[in-house]
Amino acid sequence: MSVVPDSLAMDVVEHTNNRMVLSMGPQHPSTHGVLQVITEIEGEVITKAEPEIGYLHTGIEKSAENLFWTQASTVIERMDYLSPLSNAMAYILAVEQLLGVANDIPERAQQVRVLLCELSRIASHCVWLGTGGIDLGAISTFFYSFDLRERILDLNEFAGGARMHPNYLRIGGLNGDLPTGFLDKLDVVIDMYAPRMREMRNLLQKNPIFQDRTIDVGILSAEESLAWGITGPTLRASGVAYDVRKAFPYSGYENYEFDIPTRTEGDAYARFLVRLDEMDESMRIIRQIRKSLVGGPVMVPDTKFAAPPKETIALSMEALIHHFKIVSESFRVPPGDVYQPVEGPRGELGYYLVSNGDNRPWRVRTRPASMYNLQVLKKIAVGELIADMVVMIGSLDPVFGEVDR
Amino acid sequence: MPSSQAPPPGATALDPTALRPPIDDAAIERITPAELVARVMTLKASGYTMLLDIGGVDYLERAPRYDVVYHFLNLSGDGATVAAVGHPRRVRLLVGVPRDATDVPSLCDLYPNANWPEREIFDLFGIRFSGHPDLRRIQMPDDWEGYPLRKDYPLRGPASEMTPRPAFALKSNVAAGTPASGKTAAALQKQIAAARAGAATHGEPAAAAQSAATSPSAATAGTASAKELAERPINLKSDSNESK
Repeated sequence: MSVVPDSLAMDVVEHTNNRMVLSMGPQHPSTHGVLQVITEIEGEVITKAEPEIGYLHTGIEKSAENLFWTQASTVIERMDYLSPLSNAMAYILAVEQLLGVANDIPERAQQVRVLLCELSRIASHCVWLGTGGIDLGAISTFFYSFDLRERILDLNEFAGGARMHPNYLRIGGLNGDLPTGFLDKLDVVIDMYAPRMREMRNLLQKNPIFQDRTIDVGILSAEESLAWGITGPTLRASGVAYDVRKAFPYSGYENYEFDIPTRTEGDAYARFLVRLDEMDESMRIIRQIRKSLVGGPVMVPDTKFAAPPKETIALSMEALIHHFKIVSESFRVPPGDVYQPVEGPRGELGYYLVSNGDNRPWRVRTRPASMYNLQVLKKIAVGELIADMVVMIGSLDPVFGEVDR
Repeated sequence: MPSSQAPPPGATALDPTALRPPIDDAAIERITPAELVARVMTLKASGYTMLLDIGGVDYLERAPRYDVVYHFLNLSGDGATVAAVGHPRRVRLLVGVPRDATDVPSLCDLYPNANWPEREIFDLFGIRFSGHPDLRRIQMPDDWEGYPLRKDYPLRGPASEMTPRPAFALKSNVAAGTPASGKTAAALQKQIAAARAGAATHGEPAAAAQSAATSPSAATAGTASAKELAERPINLKSDSNESK
C-alpha cells in the first residue's frame, strides 16, 4: 500500500513532452472497490500501470486464527463478500478433511451446499454484469441484474437469516434444514431466470457500442494466463478449460451434468461471454438439484462437533451438555495441514489450513483468486487506452474484500 | 475450565505437518531455501506451469520457525478441453525458514505471479525474498512497524495503535486476558474500593469522617465515608452518575 512508489515518483519530475503519471483511485467509482492504479500515460496510451492494493486490509486471516474453528467461518464469509458461501464452502471442506469426516456428510447437506453456492455464483456474476455495464455507460443492465440478485439474496435470507452473509454452512453439514416453502421460492427464481437472462443478454451481448469497447481489449493468451496464475472465467476465456468442479470434484459435483464454457479470444468480450454462459450452467445444476433433492439429515451424527438439534436440548440432559460444550469451548481438530480449493465465481478459491490439535486454527491461508487475477492488470494494461482501464478492471472482476483480506 | 474432551494425540503439536492425517491433496516435499530454485526449475520443466499460491506459516517454537508454502499445479498439455485437463496434479513445497536467517530466493523470474504473494509474506511475516524486484509492504502502510501475522504479534496491534482507554479502566490495572473468574472480580472490587477510599481520605479527611459520624444520609450527597464507599456494591456502568 503506497501513495506513489519511488520509481514512478521520479518519473513525475522527469516527465517529458506527453508523458504523465495519473493516479486512479483508490476512491474511484469504476475500480469496483478501493483499488489504486498508478498509470503512466503517453497521450491516451498506457505505458505502465501499477495496481496498489491493501486499502481494505482487515486482518481476517489473523482474526480467524483467534476464533474457534466454527466461529472462523463467520469472518471468512466476509472475504469475498459477493459470494460468501463459496468462501465458507472451501474453509468448511478443508476442516472436514482434517477431521476425517469428508466422506460422511449427508447427501442432502451436500446437495443444498452446491445449490446455494451455485445460486451465489449467479448472484455474484449479477453484480459483475451490472457494474460492468455501468462502467461503459449501460445503466439499464444494472437494474435488471440487481433485481435478479435480490431474489437470490432473499433465498439466502430465508434459509440462513441474513441476505449477504448467511453463515448457513456448518462444519459437518448445515445450520439446519431448509425452511418450509424454500423450494417454492426457489421455483420462482428458476422460472424468472431464463427470461431475465435473455433480457440482459439482449441489452449487451450484441450491442455494437459494448462490443466496440470490449473486443480486443486486455488480451491474455493461455500461456500468460498460466504463468500469472489466473483461474476461473478469466482463464477459461483464454482457452484453458480448468475448473475445480471438474478437475477436483467436491461435494458431489461429479453427479451433475454441466459444461465448462470456454473461449479462445482471451479479451474482455470473451470473459463477458464466458461468465454469462457460466451463469446458465449454474442454473442447469440448480435445476438438476431441484429435481433430485433427497431427504434425510443435514448434519453428521457425530456429537463431538455437531451441535445436537435444538428440539432435543429441552428433553435430554446429554444434548444440553453437548450443546454447552460445543458453544463454550468448541471442538479440537487433529493436527495436520490441508489444501482444499473450490471453484468460486472468480476462480480457484483455496484454503491452506494448519491445525496444531487445538480448538482454534493455527493458520488460515486463503488462496485469493481475485488477487492473482488482478495482479495481471499491470501486464495487460500496457499499450491499451486509458479509457479502457475500467473495462479491463471490470473484466477481471476483482473483489477487494478478498484481494486485501 | 478444563476440557472433558480428551485432546487428540499430538495435541498442540510443534510441527503439525509431520502428523497430518492421510489426505490426498498434493505431493508434499520439505526442502531448504538453498534447494528451492533448483527444485522449482525441475518442477517447471516437468509441466508444473502454474504457481497456485505462496503462503507463510509461523510455528513460533519450532526450528526452523517459519514455513513458506508453495503450491504448484500441473495442467497437462494445452488444457483446451475438460477431458484434456483431466485430474491435474498438485505439488506442495514446504520451505523451512529459520528464525534468524529469513532469506528465501524469490521466484519472480520463474513465475511472474510470485510478485505479490512474496510481498505479502514479507509484509506480514517479515521473511525477505532475495532477488525480488520490488519488495515493499503490500497490505499494511509503508511505515508500519512489526509483522502482523507472526504469532508473537499482539492480536489488537501494537500499543500505539490501541484505542485510548478511559481513566477508570487504566486504574483497574487488570492485565489483558485475565479470566473473568469470581476470584479475580472480587479482587478487582477490593482494589477499586481501596483506591476510592484513598481518594476520599486524601481530600478532606476530617470533614469526611465528621459527616459520616453525624448524619449517615449525607453520605449519598457526595461526602461518603471510606467505609461506606468500600461496602457499596460496585456497578461500573452507573459509577460515573453516582459519584456526582
